Amino acid sequence: MPLEGLRGRKALVSGATSGIGESICKRLAAEGVDVLATDIHPGAGIVVADLTRADEVEKLAARGTPDFIVNVAGGPVAPTRSETLPALPQGNLLLEDIDERQWSAVIAANLTTAYLVCREFAPRMKARKSGRIVNFASIAARRGSDRVGVHYAAAKGGIIALTKTLALELGPFGITVNAIAPGFIATPRIEQSGWGRTSPEAHRAFLEAIPLKRAGRPDDIAGVVAMLCSEAGGYVSGATIDVNGGLYFGP
Amino acid sequence: MKTAVVTGAAKPESIGHEVAVRLQKEGMQVVVLDLYEEGFSSLPGCRCIKCDVSDATAVERAFASLKEIHVLVNCVGGSWEITQKDLRAGPRRGFLGLTNCSLEDWSTIRGANLDSVFYCCRAAAPLLKKQGGAIVNVSSVAARKGIPPGAEGSSGPYAVAKAGVMGLTRQLALELGSFGVRVNCVAPGVIASGRLKKVLRFSGDKGPEGPLKQIPMGRVGTVAETAALIVALCTDDTSYMTGVTVDINGASYAA
Repeated sequence: MPLEGLRGRKALVSGATSGIGESICKRLAAEGVDVLATDIHPGAGIVVADLTRADEVEKLAARGTPDFIVNVAGGPVAPTRSETLPALPQGNLLLEDIDERQWSAVIAANLTTAYLVCREFAPRMKARKSGRIVNFASIAARRGSDRVGVHYAAAKGGIIALTKTLALELGPFGITVNAIAPGFIATPRIEQSGWGRTSPEAHRAFLEAIPLKRAGRPDDIAGVVAMLCSEAGGYVSGATIDVNGGLYFGP
Repeated sequence: MKTAVVTGAAKPESIGHEVAVRLQKEGMQVVVLDLYEEGFSSLPGCRCIKCDVSDATAVERAFASLKEIHVLVNCVGGSWEITQKDLRAGPRRGFLGLTNCSLEDWSTIRGANLDSVFYCCRAAAPLLKKQGGAIVNVSSVAARKGIPPGAEGSSGPYAVAKAGVMGLTRQLALELGSFGVRVNCVAPGVIASGRLKKVLRFSGDKGPEGPLKQIPMGRVGTVAETAALIVALCTDDTSYMTGVTVDINGASYAA
């Protein structure tokens, strides 16, 4: 059965060109949602925008006010206009590997983008007295990570705090604000890079340690986004939902 | 046809009732375990079995009649109307905390809210493991933040038992994950169920967990929203979630 409350609504999905964002767009569209897909990396049906810049976020707003905002844009390596899909690192990102430029760029790509999008659209949602905002945190913020770097983990921790705070601020206006904290999701980009795979044996052992015994798929995340935007998410707000196959249970 | 077992579903206007109705609409054969026989006629098409799920022997007997189970939803619980004796008694007045409850209160409330979940999960596990499936348990925001002294309609033992349900959810997620059985939990805040109406009759604007006007979303949740969330946790929409408690409380407590 289709989820209630999705058909005919409008959604803005960032980070939509590939991986989790792309999967979310497909799922929402399949539920009858009119999706505005944006990314810094061009693609079919993508409105290109650099959401670390307030002026580009403002331009997006000219396309109308969505019912759902899904802030997927981000990642452990920040894209730029000239390099929109930067290569993922081969090894673990250590504190001493991260210079100030990378620190600032990753905070901007993961946290400032969500802040700017919320700042632009929340007043419009408030005027309507309804809306759903879904942000993207990470297991790296929930339990820490030895792989993705302190900049990414800190930015995603910021997303959780932003989510809780906006849930309080926007709750009186009928707007829910939640975060999803994915675990290891085998997106095409991560699969191609082989990131985190020191050896096939180590990767097998890593997957074996996940209670559901597998890596996640982008579709596994898209389902939870659809749930939060539907009737099922109507009274869920301020929550960070761990979607990681049981690898970490949350606080 | 897939089979779902829902406990605590017979009372109209309860979360469990709405879950049973919705799972049936999803095309499942729904088996209801409940003490409240008067409610059975409100669930046409469900197989209703009178069962005290806080009694391990009764639970084993009820599950022995089932051939397969794909979904188990443990909705049974509460601080009152949870035994055959007080099934229609209405809420008790006054604050019931850990320091002023009787030992009987403690074991009755723990039995209905925590032991029942343990018994039903254990009885269902062999059938769930055969082909995989999902368990959803119902905890409470009370497990996160406790019941403030003075609040009526809930209880301290309830808050503790519901915290136990979260721990049980995690443990079972580990034990059943490799069999393709996901185990998750919802922790509702104040929901406009039949029970809440009974409490509000005497408590004014105070819910069982404190003043209603302190809820950031400015309203209580609906039974429909809560049941929709529980049903989503039974479906492939949440295929990579296990061991998780989803808080549904109108932003009144962020874990």
